[in-house]
Amino acid sequence: MTALQATLSAPGSQARRSLPAILGLVGVFLIWELAARAFEDAFVLAGPSDVLAYLMANQALMGRALMVTLSNAAIGFVLGNLAAVLLALIALLWPRSESVVTGLALFVFCLPLVATGPILRVFFGPGEWPQILLAALAVYYTTLIPLLVGLRAAPATWFDLVRSYGRGRFAALFHVRMMASLPYFVAGLQIAAPAAFLGAMVGEFTGAERGMGVLTIRAMRALDVDMTWALASVATAVAILVYLVIGWLARLVLSDAPPVILAAPRASVSGRAAVWKSTVNIALTVGVVLGVWWGALAVLDVSPFFAKGPADVFDALFLAPDAATTRATLGSALIDTSVLLLPGYFAGLLAGAGLAMLVVLVPALTGIAMTLSIALRSVPIVTTAPLVVLLAGRGAVGTIVLVAVMVFFPTFVACLHGLRQAPGQVMDVLHSYAAGPILQLIRVRIPAMLPAFFAAARMSVPASVLAVTVVEWLATGNGIGSLMAVSASLSDYDMLWSSVVLVSLLSSLGYAAVGAIESRVLRIYAPEQLA
Amino acid sequence: MALDPTSPPEVICTGLAKTFDGGLDAVSPTTLRFAAGQTTALVGPSGCGKSTILRMIAGLETPSAGSISIGGAPPAETLQKADLAVAFQDPSLLPWRSVRGNIELALGLARRPIVPEEVDQLIRMVGLDGFAETRPAELSGGMRQRAAIARALATQPKLLLLDEPFGAVDELTRQQLAQDLPRLWEARGTTTLLVTHSVQEAVMLSDRILVLSPRPAAVVADISVDLPRPRDPELARDAAFTTLVDDVFSALSHGMAQSHPPLVAQ
Repeated sequence: MTALQATLSAPGSQARRSLPAILGLVGVFLIWELAARAFEDAFVLAGPSDVLAYLMANQALMGRALMVTLSNAAIGFVLGNLAAVLLALIALLWPRSESVVTGLALFVFCLPLVATGPILRVFFGPGEWPQILLAALAVYYTTLIPLLVGLRAAPATWFDLVRSYGRGRFAALFHVRMMASLPYFVAGLQIAAPAAFLGAMVGEFTGAERGMGVLTIRAMRALDVDMTWALASVATAVAILVYLVIGWLARLVLSDAPPVILAAPRASVSGRAAVWKSTVNIALTVGVVLGVWWGALAVLDVSPFFAKGPADVFDALFLAPDAATTRATLGSALIDTSVLLLPGYFAGLLAGAGLAMLVVLVPALTGIAMTLSIALRSVPIVTTAPLVVLLAGRGAVGTIVLVAVMVFFPTFVACLHGLRQAPGQVMDVLHSYAAGPILQLIRVRIPAMLPAFFAAARMSVPASVLAVTVVEWLATGNGIGSLMAVSASLSDYDMLWSSVVLVSLLSSLGYAAVGAIESRVLRIYAPEQLA
Repeated sequence: MALDPTSPPEVICTGLAKTFDGGLDAVSPTTLRFAAGQTTALVGPSGCGKSTILRMIAGLETPSAGSISIGGAPPAETLQKADLAVAFQDPSLLPWRSVRGNIELALGLARRPIVPEEVDQLIRMVGLDGFAETRPAELSGGMRQRAAIARALATQPKLLLLDEPFGAVDELTRQQLAQDLPRLWEARGTTTLLVTHSVQEAVMLSDRILVLSPRPAAVVADISVDLPRPRDPELARDAAFTTLVDDVFSALSHGMAQSHPPLVAQ
């Protein structure tokens, strides 16, 4: 049983199943408190008692900030999910548009929040809209992908049934697809809820007047350890609560638990016609991205000083007198970022998959692992960036740790799910030959885990870019994250827009590269995933 | 020409053929005639294309060549009027709907009024009394098949297409369903097409059996089943029944031999 299913299981055995989770939670608090006492003089760690004391003393301030952030996150959550539903319906009802819709959606998802925040701030001023839009941007992709999977997650005979009564795709959508996709939609919403909170907070980092993000910046600047930990704790608690509430609501309407979502990979391209089709799709996506970009600037009618179009970016990178300097600056920043991003990314993947395997080999760890996976899956990790900076410092280690943490959690949850998906009959064959747990792991469980592992690896590419740019911006002052923040504050909008384009492009390429490796591996180990 | 609203239709397939993308020949050009109000079984080895014929008649596959007439109208017209119903090998019940909900779904899709008393009566007729509000996951395989048959009958179709409807249930349940359910459509005089790979089932249920060759499907025998109705399991011991079964088996073997000559000459 997955951690998620554990939270959504029948209430009869709820108490018994919850016990390890509660014990795990108590253990986490105890270790946290003891660690805080042990390192009291280091001024980096505030324990649960310190957090509680701070919250009691500042409840009015924290309450107001929380309400502001919650309300921005909620509006962004609704808007982002509406956009996801709309995009999914377009892709479904007009199948030819799907690769363009998903390509565009991926590119927009890869836009670095660190840079889109300041740009939206320029467009919308000091109000709430930048936070709301960043929350929506953080949400829509994590809903769109499962929704696209879910809308097709029905046997062909259900559609034959609809057609046999002379009804078309709208009846199939209404009677079959909508209900069939509901568990997937709910699973997407559960992941989206903390992401919305994260988006709203990042939006508030960029110059809002109120909210948890504003307080976080204030706490970091003042080196207020108690306040930093209190803010991260509240963000975590709220995210877990929303996650559980959506799960509870899902239990009321669904007969089965929401599935653990694996974004379906694309079949790898082979044959001349397929390569041609893929090339056309990429060209179309690029065309749509450029069109939307131009169109948005024309509609919003913002001063060309702030708003740079595709031609401006091309000019800044290739034609302007200082183009070579701009390229050199960007290249150097990207190298600085890659040096921290890549080790963090791979360390996170290895740690996530490794711990999942350990949990399978040592079932006694299951209780604490379940608690961790529920809690950590719902935590907006980047909001804990200030904590990692406090604990690991502002240098390379802190950045690598944060990226690794960002990648670790989804990888761990997905891999644990994948390892447990090992086919029972194949496991029985191994049992019948008295194969030990290690052999079972190597021969059956790891191959069964590969689809989940790669799905997590792919989805972690934009997430790790978000993490590294946020840390560079808030803490280290190096790399592309810092370059974007500095460009925004110096009003160097040519550099800012060029950075956005480059980071989004590289993230999308990274995502596609992992997807290509994934397709090759799955063709051997899980060909049904590519059907 | 529209379907006669009062009588079951005759189905005529003329030069019907199907070649799938990739060049797989599923059905070679075949002309078939299914008499109005009769039950005709299509029997053949696995993968011979019998389900493809049924799906083309149901309008779920487009023929590569030939035409289909259902009471003088093409399948698309029959589909639009919801005058046909299909029971698939997989019961294909929507898991989030109860037995009643699944039956009502068919009525809704067919744009027919939902009369609760009639739905109740149908549920009773298929032996699911007391399970109207039960979801498919809580039913046995046989019960799900009954619910699927009830759904197919709910719209009172003039043409009933059964694609191995008892294929996924155990032998005892299969016998029980084969005995009980035909009475429901026989009473209405529906034109029924049954696809099965069980020779005994074909003889027990049908008025006529078309034996198909291995892929691409072609008719190798047309056997009339002149056994009295209603039929019960005792009939299986009757000499006439076993003779018919033997006839079908030998036609099947003949078709197989033509298609796959022995590997080693005797």
